[in-house]
Amino acid sequence: MRGKRWMMLSVLWVLVSLSGCATTGTVEKPYRVSPQGTVIWEDEFEFSPPPLGWKLLRPETGGDINFGFMRDDPGGFPSMTSFAYDEEPFGCSTQYEGREKEFFKRFLFNAILEFKMLEKKKVQVVGGEGLQVDVEGKDPIKGEKVRARVIFGKRGDRIIGFYITQWRPIDGTYDMSAFDDFDKFVKSFKFLKKSFYETL
Amino acid sequence: MEGHQRNLYLYERFNARVLGVSRDDVTTLRYWAKGLDLTFPLLSNVTSFLGVYFQIQPDGKPIFGRRTVIIDKSGVIRYVRDGSPEYKDILLFLKRLSQEGGKK
Repeated sequence: MRGKRWMMLSVLWVLVSLSGCATTGTVEKPYRVSPQGTVIWEDEFEFSPPPLGWKLLRPETGGDINFGFMRDDPGGFPSMTSFAYDEEPFGCSTQYEGREKEFFKRFLFNAILEFKMLEKKKVQVVGGEGLQVDVEGKDPIKGEKVRARVIFGKRGDRIIGFYITQWRPIDGTYDMSAFDDFDKFVKSFKFLKKSFYETL
Repeated sequence: MEGHQRNLYLYERFNARVLGVSRDDVTTLRYWAKGLDLTFPLLSNVTSFLGVYFQIQPDGKPIFGRRTVIIDKSGVIRYVRDGSPEYKDILLFLKRLSQEGGKK
């Protein structure tokens, strides 16, 4: 069960809360809270945190995914939702259409789901035009389904990604309020400085 | 390998080329490259002499260890790291090498 929850993230995560009480030892927090209530992450990103109930996720040992949030949802296994900011989403193309195709070859690949496209549209993200793709995947054998929204944006020449996945039993109901929280997080997201790649 | 593919435009900027080397056969590598949308060359070295040369051929195993090697334009090995590639480290090294070359 635990392994399943992490399959999207594929790195070891440490669960901490924004209050910082779950951090251990002398590990320094990678974020601070601004007087306006936004989170400044490693002096590089600024965003509005999701409401209470979401727990912060961060990789213990590097990896491409910078950080994200998760929550356990009511209902039977595998009811949970997580979302993340990813500096290097799957794929290589610097064009949205190409990247989308590359990305979905590997997104949640361990789950072996057949994805159905629900919606694709252009959106504004991190100060420019981005691409939002909503999909649903089902596994009738395991009796599970997932709804996901992926938003591709640009940071310099490179494509970055935000995504949310919500798992449910096959007959479960999605909670779209989690997607609203995700959208607010993405809309609030700003880069405070140039990326490593932009400074080379 | 996908990280190298993403960084090709930066390697170009630093006048560097990337090659992958594996003990897999050509057909396997062709499908693998297609799956990951790789456009740079992958070399098939089923007889493993390159692995022996670069000391990454473990005894009795049919695969190479993972090693990143940067060779300068004079043919001198300038950088060796084991394990998964540290892409940012590689880029910084190539930038330094490129600047060094520009001064000569």
